[in-house]
Amino acid sequence: MEYLGEWIWAAYVGRLLVALAFAAALLAMVSFGRGNIALGRKAFVAHSLSTLGVIALIFVLFFGHRYEFQYIWKHLNNEMPMRFVLSAFWGGQEGGFLLWMFWHNVLALFILRRADAWQREVMTVLSAIEAFLGIMLLGIYFGDFQLGLDPFLLLREAPNNLGLPWTARADYLTSIPQFTDGQGLNPLLQNYWMTIHPPTLFLGFAACSIPFAYAVGALWRRDLTGWIRPVLPWAFFAVGILGAGILMGGAWAYEALSFGGFWAWDPVENSSLVPWMVLVAAAHLLLINRNRTKPTALFSTVYLSVLAFLLVLYSTFLTKSGVLGDTSVHSFVDSGILPQLLAYLLTFVAVAHLMLLEDTGSRKVYGGLALASLGVVALGHPALGLLAFLGVMGAAAVRAFRKEFRSDDAEDALWSREFWMFVGSLLLVLGAMHITWQTSIPVFNLFLEPFAPLLSWAGDATGWETFRALAQHDLAPGTDLDQTYHLVQVPLAVLIFLLMGLAQWLKYKNSDIRVVVSKLARALLAAAVVTGILLVTYQFKLHEVPRVALLFATLFAAFSNADYIVQMWKGKLDALGSPLAHVGFALTLFGAVISTAQKDVISQNRIGDISTLNEELNNSTDLLLMEGDTLPMGPYFVSYEKRRSEGIHVMFDMAYFERAPRPYKTGDIVVQEGMVWQALDDHEASPAFDDDVENHWNFLPFPTEAQTGRASRWVNGTPGEEVFRLAPRIQLNAQMGNAPEPDTKHFLTRDLYTHIKWGRVTPPETDEEGWLGGQSQAFAVGDSMFVGGVLMTIDSLRVIGDEERPARGLLDDDLALAACLGLRRGRTVEVHDPLYIVRGSTVVPDLYEAEGWGLRFRVEKFDPESESLEMTVWEHESVRRDFVVMQAVIFPQINWLWLGCLLMTLGSFLAVRFRIRQGARTRRHG
Amino acid sequence: MKKTHIVLLLLVAGLMGTFVASITSTSRSVGFATAFADPGTEYKVSGTLVTEFPVEYNPLENTTLTKFHLQDKEGNVQEVWLQEAKPTGLERSESIDLYGKANDGHFHATEMLMKCPSKYNEQNHLVEDNA
Repeated sequence: MEYLGEWIWAAYVGRLLVALAFAAALLAMVSFGRGNIALGRKAFVAHSLSTLGVIALIFVLFFGHRYEFQYIWKHLNNEMPMRFVLSAFWGGQEGGFLLWMFWHNVLALFILRRADAWQREVMTVLSAIEAFLGIMLLGIYFGDFQLGLDPFLLLREAPNNLGLPWTARADYLTSIPQFTDGQGLNPLLQNYWMTIHPPTLFLGFAACSIPFAYAVGALWRRDLTGWIRPVLPWAFFAVGILGAGILMGGAWAYEALSFGGFWAWDPVENSSLVPWMVLVAAAHLLLINRNRTKPTALFSTVYLSVLAFLLVLYSTFLTKSGVLGDTSVHSFVDSGILPQLLAYLLTFVAVAHLMLLEDTGSRKVYGGLALASLGVVALGHPALGLLAFLGVMGAAAVRAFRKEFRSDDAEDALWSREFWMFVGSLLLVLGAMHITWQTSIPVFNLFLEPFAPLLSWAGDATGWETFRALAQHDLAPGTDLDQTYHLVQVPLAVLIFLLMGLAQWLKYKNSDIRVVVSKLARALLAAAVVTGILLVTYQFKLHEVPRVALLFATLFAAFSNADYIVQMWKGKLDALGSPLAHVGFALTLFGAVISTAQKDVISQNRIGDISTLNEELNNSTDLLLMEGDTLPMGPYFVSYEKRRSEGIHVMFDMAYFERAPRPYKTGDIVVQEGMVWQALDDHEASPAFDDDVENHWNFLPFPTEAQTGRASRWVNGTPGEEVFRLAPRIQLNAQMGNAPEPDTKHFLTRDLYTHIKWGRVTPPETDEEGWLGGQSQAFAVGDSMFVGGVLMTIDSLRVIGDEERPARGLLDDDLALAACLGLRRGRTVEVHDPLYIVRGSTVVPDLYEAEGWGLRFRVEKFDPESESLEMTVWEHESVRRDFVVMQAVIFPQINWLWLGCLLMTLGSFLAVRFRIRQGARTRRHG
Repeated sequence: MKKTHIVLLLLVAGLMGTFVASITSTSRSVGFATAFADPGTEYKVSGTLVTEFPVEYNPLENTTLTKFHLQDKEGNVQEVWLQEAKPTGLERSESIDLYGKANDGHFHATEMLMKCPSKYNEQNHLVEDNA
C-alpha cells in the first residue's frame, strides 16, 4: 500500500546517510589506526559530510512540518514559532547525539587542518567515539532488541503504533487530526536559553574527547610527555566551554524555570559539573608538567585526562538511560537504550584502562578478566558482573600506577607552585568523587542487590542506616539536598580557594615564603575587611561559619588574583588568562554563596492567619493577592492588576510601588498581633512596630466597641509612586501540564525574583445567572470556611418557632430548622439563616440568598445527633475576585555571579590563546 | 617521609571523612508503615495520588498547605499535608516522591518531586482513543 502525502524518500535518504556516517567513521578509525593517514582523512571527511547531511535533512523536515516522522511529530507543532526550531532539534535524545557528533566533527576539522605529530592517534580515538555515537542513531532491530534510536523513524513504524488500525489507512496523515499537528516542544524548552545552553554544553562535552584522545594516544605510543604541550590549549578550551555551558544551564534554571534558584544539585546538573571538576584538575596537572623538565605525577595527569571523558560518558548514561528517573526532575525517561549506553561506557572504560598497562601480557590478562566479568553479566548476573568488571579495571589502574608509571619523582619543594597546584587538583577530584557518589545512589540501589545479606550484616554491625537501606535497595539522597552537598563541598571549596589565592603568587620550583606572604598581605587584608563588612551588613548566624569561611576564601582568591593582574600585567594579554579565570571563578562562587545564603523571601502571607492549623505548616512564604488589592511586600507595595493571555502564556500583571511614609495622628487606633493600640502622638511609622511601640503607642487592654470599630491594621508605609511592573506567567501546555515561569527585576545590587505558585488560567465556570460553585459539602457547628473573600462560620442550629413561620413563608405543620451562619467580610459581620424544611414526609428544598453578599445557600441534609449538616454554597461572579498566590524572593549581590561567569570564560580563552601562541613559539624555536 | 606522602595521607583522611559524611547524610525511601512507626524521622516516601479523595488547597486559608492522599508502593493510603502551594499538574502526576515525616495522623511533607506522564505515553492514549 502506498501512503498518501509521506516524504518517504527522506526516510530512505536519512537512513542511508546515518549508515554512511557510521561506516565512514569505522573506516576512518581503522585507517588511522593502521597508519593510513590519507585514507583516514578521506573517510573522516566523508563521515563529516554525512553527519552534516543528516542534520540538514532533519532541519528540512522540521521546516516542512513533516509530521509523518516521529521525531518531528514529538518536538514540533503548528503553533511553535520557528525561532525555537533549534531547541526542538535537540529536544530529544537523537538530536542530542547529533549535536554532540556535530561538535566532534568541527573540532576534528581543526585537528585535521593542523595535522600535528599526534594526528594519527587522536583521530583514531575520535573516529572510534564517532562510530559509537553513530550506532546510537542506527535504529536497527535485532528481534526485540533495538540498536540506537532512528531519527527518521516514521510515526506509523514506531513500535508502540505497530498494528494499530490507523496505520493501515493510506490517508492517515490528512484524515486523522492528531497527525496534522505535532505534539509540540515542551514549553520549558521554548526560550532562548534553550537555544544557547545545549550547544555550549555539548561543545564542552565534545571538547573533553580531545584530551582523552591525546592521553590514549600517549599511552599507545608510550610517550607520556610529548602530548602535554599540544593538548594544553584543548584542555583549557574544554574547561572554558564546559564551564560556560554549565553556568548557562544555571542561568536558564534561574530565568526561565520556577525552581527558585540557579542550582539545585540535581543529578543532571551534577553530572556535567563532575567532568568539569576533573577536567580542571587534569588541566592543572598538565600545566605542572609543561613547566618541568622532569615530569611528575604522570599517572594522575594521564588518568584524570582520561577520566574526564569517561565521566562525560557516565553522565550521558545517567541522564539518558532512565536510571535516574526517580531522583531527577529533568532526566529523560527510559527509551530502551540503556544496554547500549552501558556498552558504550564499558568499552571506553576498558580500552582506556587496558591502555594504561604497558606490556601486552598483562593487557591480555586483564582484558580477559574484563571479558569474563562481562560474561557473568550475559549469564544474567548484571550486578555481580559489573562489579567484577569495575574491580578488574581498578586493579589494572593500580598495577599500572605501581609498575608502569614507576618513576623516581623528584621531590617538589614545599613552597613551589606545582606542589600546591597538585594538592588543589586532588581536592577538586575529591569533591567530584563526593558528588558522583551522591548522584549514583540510584545506581547503587540497582547494582548492589546481590549483596543484600552482606550489607544488612554490615548495617547491624555498624548501626549505620545506610547499609540497611542499601540492603533493601531503598537508599535515597538526604532529604535536604543543599545540606547534604554543602557538608562536604563547602570545606573543600574553602581549601581550594585559599590555594587558588596562594598558588598564583608562588613560583614554579621554589619560592621564598616570606616574600610570598608579604605579597599576599594586601589580599588577605582586603578579604578580611570585606568579610567583616558582610558580617555586619547581613548578620550571619553562628551555624553559618563554614559559609562565612567560604566567602572569605573566595574573596581572598579574587583579591589575590586581581592583585596579581595589577602587578604583573604590564600590558601583555598572555599573562592575564589564568588570574582572570581565577578571579572569575572566585566571584562566581562568591555571588552564588551570598545570594543564596542571604536570599530573602519577602512574600510573607498576612491573610488567613485565623487558621487553626498546625504552626509548623504555616511557613507563609507565599503571598495571596486579590485582584485590585495593594499589599505591602518587603520594601515595596505590590498590586495584582489583571490577568491577560498572550500566546501560550497567561500573564499576571503586578505593579510595584515604593513605600511612602505612613503618618499616624494622636488617637489613631491600630491592631497589631491581635492587640489594640492607640497612638500617643503624631509620628511616622518605622519599618517595624517594635521600634515604635515604646514611644508612640499605648496598649488598650479592654478596647470599647467603638474603638475596635475604627481600628485598622498597623502598616509601616503606604503605596507611593509606581516604580516598576513585573508579569510572572503560567505557560499553558495541554500535554506537559501548565508550567509557571518567573519574572525577575534586575538591579545592580540585587534581583527581585517572583513566580506564581497558584493562579487560575481561565475564569471559573458559572451558570446563566452568574452563579458559580454548587458542590455540597458537609459541615459541623463551629466549622468555618472561606467562600471567596467571605469568612463563613456555622454558629449554631436552631428550630424555627411557631411565631416565625408566617414570616418565613412556612406552613403550620412544617418542621423547620435554621442554620445560623456568621458571614464576615472585612469588618462587616452579619448572621444569615438558611432553612431546612420538612413538609410531611418530604424535604422542601429552600434556596436562600444572602443579599448584598453575593452568596446563596441550600441546606441539603441535616443530622440532629451529630449537629452536622450538608449544605450547598454558591458564589456570584459579581462579588468574586480573582486571586493568585505568588512567591517573591530577593537575591542580593547575585550580579557578582554573572560577572564572575563572564570573567572566567574570558580568562579561559585568554589561557587557550596563550597556550596556542606558546606552542607555536616552541615549534618555531624547537 | 616525603611531603607527597603526607598529602596523600591527608587526602585519604579527607576521603574517609567524605565517605562518612555521605553515609550519614542519606535518607531512606520507605513505605508509610515504616514512616508512621517512627514519627518525627525524615523519610522519603514514593507512591501515587489517590484520586478518590479530593486534593484540598485553599489559598485563602493557607497559601502553603495542600492536602491529598497518597498510596505508597506497599498499597497503604495516608493523608499527606504538603507544605507548599498546590503543585501544577499534581492531578496528572504518574508518581510522587515525598520528603518528610509522619505527624499525628498525616504525613507532613516538606518537599515533593513529581513525575508527569511522558509525551510518549500521551501519544499512546491519543492514538488509541482515536482509532
